[in-house]
Amino acid sequence: MPLKIITCIKWVPNTMAVSIDEKTGTLIREGVPSIANPHDLCALEAALQLRDRYGGEVTVISMAPPSAVLGLEHALGMGADRAILISDRAFAGADTLATSYTLAKAIERIGEFDLIVTGQETIDSSTAHIGAQVASWLNIPYVYYVVDAEYDESRRVLRVKRMLENMYEVYEMDLPGLISIAMHAFRPRRVRLENKLRAKLERRVEVWTNEVLKLDERCVGLRGSATAVTKIEFMPKVPRKRQVFRGRDPKEAARWLVSRLIEDGLLKL
Amino acid sequence: MSGEICREWEPVRPEEYKGIWVYMQVEEGRVHEASLQLLGPARYMADKLGTYVGAVLIGYGVRHLASEPIYYGADRVFVVDDERLKTYYPRVYGKVLAALARKHKPHALLIGATMRGRELAPYVANTLRTGITADLTNFDVDVEKKEIILIRPPFGAWMLAHIRTPHRRPVMGSVRPNVFPLPPRDESRRGEVIEERVDVEPETRLRIVEQIPIRRSEDIPIEKAEILVSGGRGLGSKDGFKLLRELAELLGGTISGSRKAVDAGWIPHEKQVGQTGKSVKPNIYFAVGISGAAQHLFGIREAKCVVAINIDPEAPIFENADYGIVGDYREVIPALIEVIKELKAKKGRGEATRP
Repeated sequence: MPLKIITCIKWVPNTMAVSIDEKTGTLIREGVPSIANPHDLCALEAALQLRDRYGGEVTVISMAPPSAVLGLEHALGMGADRAILISDRAFAGADTLATSYTLAKAIERIGEFDLIVTGQETIDSSTAHIGAQVASWLNIPYVYYVVDAEYDESRRVLRVKRMLENMYEVYEMDLPGLISIAMHAFRPRRVRLENKLRAKLERRVEVWTNEVLKLDERCVGLRGSATAVTKIEFMPKVPRKRQVFRGRDPKEAARWLVSRLIEDGLLKL
Repeated sequence: MSGEICREWEPVRPEEYKGIWVYMQVEEGRVHEASLQLLGPARYMADKLGTYVGAVLIGYGVRHLASEPIYYGADRVFVVDDERLKTYYPRVYGKVLAALARKHKPHALLIGATMRGRELAPYVANTLRTGITADLTNFDVDVEKKEIILIRPPFGAWMLAHIRTPHRRPVMGSVRPNVFPLPPRDESRRGEVIEERVDVEPETRLRIVEQIPIRRSEDIPIEKAEILVSGGRGLGSKDGFKLLRELAELLGGTISGSRKAVDAGWIPHEKQVGQTGKSVKPNIYFAVGISGAAQHLFGIREAKCVVAINIDPEAPIFENADYGIVGDYREVIPALIEVIKELKAKKGRGEATRP
């Protein structure tokens, strides 16, 4: 039986492009573009490899504002078969409890599936919550930090290898189930431009609003969230001495540095 | 209020919830240090709120470990020792933990964000239909409202979000290892051990087949190191780290790297410093060939002294370092090694140690 795979993708501000305002020591966020969470693209790569090996289809979903269509077109350009954007004002301001609920309900609406593949975490909030929470809502087994997966079609079992701090573990998981892919285990393939362009022209990204999902507004978005951010504070820039050695001779520079470090009581030989 | 909340949630009366709980992860027959470290913040929260610190110990053959959390600050230890918990599965342990929380109604539940902890914690939170804050770095207690505020840097670096869980309980948070120090061990402390029997629902859809130990280097974890010699893209190759390691070992420290060095495959992710890696607090942090992006600087904000060695005099790292040397690290690091070795030799001969 071919594999029906669903991959969740978050549309995130590109935190790698954020810089610090040298004067105020605060973060410059303006003009920072959003991107598909890179770790989720690794998950998509894992999903595509499974599909390519065993047959089937990969559906990508994202709960995000309308601009995330670009991220889903990127996923279609990589080779995903179907893309669904879950987008509604009612879903805004969700914490991970409400987000995972919305994603789980959307997955139920997609219908039968074998496997959900998520990224290890996002680059903007790095909670690593969503995988376990979606598995909890759907009542399916899950494994985090997966580095390899093989499908045994006859038994409908996924054999997964995962990496912890000090060991690998191998599991057999009855499908349907969920795996979360370890950060550096898969390198996302390149986008095929003609695929991406065709996805755009044919408007292949489906948009599901809450008129489609019909979720109780008390369970989604800000209202469906258990946590509330009540304050954001900026951390001041750390004051440093900023003394730079003026000279070219490495030995001189080394002597200068070692003297400073000994004077400061930081280096004890 | 019950009509106002999601039908998926049971109504909760926050005032009924007492006690600050910490989950005790057991690994190779011992309580994980990342769990014991959380008894410090738990003790503080409990004292502020006038309640107790609870430790939750679940597994098979774990009963004898119950005194450990008491020595580090717990007042009560809830123990579920059951043969059906012999093998760890997150859904099985998660449901046991959730069942205990439903019964005893703790105000808060903290879980060490080891890899197993990160897998377990959100499952427990979801089972209890409560919120969870990942990787908190600090906390506060609003004594008047009797609310715990968990603090974490969201959206990458340089900001701190204060997160409350106003209507749901327990307040849940995960904490990375070594964010809080291990509280002092006091073997004269006494506490109550409460044996619990809980329905254990076995995992029928997931089976562990094999565990393969990974031979890790004997290096000190970077978040505990007092001297870190860290390399970035400017090293140019994996080989550059050999030189960095030589300096690090001479000073009793270890090596680490920037995201770029990890992405290039020069150094493993567990040694990554910065927003997507670890925050470190060494006495001296050598940033070698690291340009000094905001995300990296966030990870070294607690370093006592930052030394920058970079060939590019315009690199932002110099603006954010205590001492800087502009030059090729392949010349500067060997010179440093030589100077330090000379000093060590002088000291060995009883001479004054001035370079």
